[in-house]
Amino acid sequence: MFELFTSMVREEWRVHSTMFGSLSFALFPFLIFGIAFMGSFLIPLVAKTLPVGNLSIIVHANYLMLGLMVGGFGMLGNEVMNRRFGQASLLAYSARSLPLSERNIFANFVVKDTVYYFFLWVFPFAFGYILASPFIHVPLASALFLLLTLTLSFLFGLCGVFFLSTVYAWSKPIFWLFLLLLGIGFGGIMATGMNPALLFPPLLLHDEFSWTNLLLSCIVLACLFIVSLRLFNPESVGSEKKYKDSFTPLLQRLSALPNSPLAAKDMIDLYRSGSMIGQTIFSFIVPLVVIWFFLSLLGRFFPPHALLFLYAVTTGVIASTMYTWVTMFDNFGPYACLPVAVSTLITSKLATFTILQIIPAVFIAVVAGLSGEAAYLIPAVVLGIAVSFYAVSIMAWLCGLSPDVLVYDVKVLFVYLILVGIVITVFSAVSFLNPYYALGAVILAVPAWIFVQKAKVRWDAVDPAGF
Amino acid sequence: MTRVIEACDLSKAYGDVQAVDHVTLAVKEGALFGLLGPNGSGKTTMIRMLTGQTRPTGGEASVLGIDVVKDPVGVRKRVGIIPEQETPPSFLTAIEYLKFVAAVRKIPDIGKKADWWFDFLDFADKKDVLCKDLSRGTRQKLMFTQAFIHEPALALIDEPLINFDPIMQDLVKDYLADYVKKGRTIFISTHILEVAEEICSEFAILHKGKLLHAGPIAELKERGEHLPAFFLSLVRKDHHV
Repeated sequence: MFELFTSMVREEWRVHSTMFGSLSFALFPFLIFGIAFMGSFLIPLVAKTLPVGNLSIIVHANYLMLGLMVGGFGMLGNEVMNRRFGQASLLAYSARSLPLSERNIFANFVVKDTVYYFFLWVFPFAFGYILASPFIHVPLASALFLLLTLTLSFLFGLCGVFFLSTVYAWSKPIFWLFLLLLGIGFGGIMATGMNPALLFPPLLLHDEFSWTNLLLSCIVLACLFIVSLRLFNPESVGSEKKYKDSFTPLLQRLSALPNSPLAAKDMIDLYRSGSMIGQTIFSFIVPLVVIWFFLSLLGRFFPPHALLFLYAVTTGVIASTMYTWVTMFDNFGPYACLPVAVSTLITSKLATFTILQIIPAVFIAVVAGLSGEAAYLIPAVVLGIAVSFYAVSIMAWLCGLSPDVLVYDVKVLFVYLILVGIVITVFSAVSFLNPYYALGAVILAVPAWIFVQKAKVRWDAVDPAGF
Repeated sequence: MTRVIEACDLSKAYGDVQAVDHVTLAVKEGALFGLLGPNGSGKTTMIRMLTGQTRPTGGEASVLGIDVVKDPVGVRKRVGIIPEQETPPSFLTAIEYLKFVAAVRKIPDIGKKADWWFDFLDFADKKDVLCKDLSRGTRQKLMFTQAFIHEPALALIDEPLINFDPIMQDLVKDYLADYVKKGRTIFISTHILEVAEEICSEFAILHKGKLLHAGPIAELKERGEHLPAFFLSLVRKDHHV
């Protein structure tokens, strides 16, 4: 059991480190540490307008999101690995060759994810804050406590997505019923005038420590984990799925797009892999609903309309990650026997990405309507979509067809954060001043176009046999 | 006779590893050319360079008169390729994959051609099955079909018979022999020497990235030598050097 766990940790490390060098990947936690350490010195300045308690809400929300993302990727891991490395397979999918049950392997997999990503993301961040705490007059005990609550936040995301995805795979009607009940529960809490995010156990614990709250958090996590494990039912090996030809009609419908065969293939991949619905729920709607609850707590610190625009910008950044939805099943390999250049593939992936942008556009419009800011619907949608296209162009330039892999490259992440960070800060501020200034975000089409052109030239010049 | 492949001083290094080391090679039109070598000798890298899948770190090469570095897509447009390990996209069915290939290659009316291949390679019952659910042998049939469906002037195949059962191997060997009789060219890489001796007209031996020998099979036969023995003596000699 322990050997499997350590092998899985080694495997995860090697998957990441072989992609862009051990040193570059090993520096990743140091980058997180550096950001936390230096960022901590800004807390006294930010605290003048935004209380420390609200900053902790943002940090906890981020780690909840991180848990959701790690869990979501874990559920798709084998498919991704097989597309990227040909015949490679993860230990998590080796029940056929090892005398271990699928459940046993799955339990090890979840524990491995917890430990691995704790040391990759959670510990470096908390450690940076802990080291900075004496300089910013934060009690050491309080800084150490953050390590516990951030870990819990991360675990809630991780176990939450495992739970939701196993329920989804087990029974779709029960999954939708569960979401409905969850929605009714949230609605009920909101009807009392309370924000459901305030009931998030790690936040409750962070605001006021009590053994009861800690125990409650652990019980909820254990329940999510145990139920996931009980419901986990891997697809039977050797099953043959047959489908009628969907490619031909789709090709005709998408004929206006550049490289329509490639776009049609991407759409079929997304639909048949279950990613279209799964990713939309777990990587888009769930994180954004969570963010909405957390952001709405900050409402009194911003101008009335600002929350909508802050949310539109956030939605734009998250929507840009839809590029990973269409690139994660492919490397260049399957196209190597066809007359297709890497730049052509990037163009086609961006065309499919463009189709998917209907989802964030509708989402922002619905949020604008529900939040009583329908008057600002158009500028909010324009801002969100413009940010999404700008961020995806940076992603394509920095990562080509491997954004989900290269995001762990320190240099890539740093440049991405700087380039996207500056733009979202400027356009958030501009839209706070006047909502209609957000329409100016259309100008982002210019740098987006330039970055896409640079991406094509850059990745055509790189040996496509990589990865 | 026209040379369909010309490589001059072609090299490829992956960091400190010299996968292909200054190889000069020519393949004539109408040949069934076998690139032979032990595992790790550079055969796959050679095919990848010739089809523009990977860039040489030295030398130059042209395929059907097209420079593989300057116009790799142009090369892939004209040739058929079966890579050693790549599998067709997971979530398309077999027939959808062939239609996808036809759309990318701009081949009209694929239907009858596809049906012929499904019958010929005996996998018509799998045409609506997702590629990810196909057995390795059936995937190889599908990859074989996609490489030949546009009847290219040159096909480059990495280990053509791998994953095929003996009956299918026999069928494919006959197909390849007939294909070159029509004036087209086939370039295969393999380490199954008996197959190479049986079907190839010319061969080259690669070891540790270096070209040890190139010439027609007929020369060997004239000398009363067999390819496996000749190969082993050359490679063993080189190994001791």
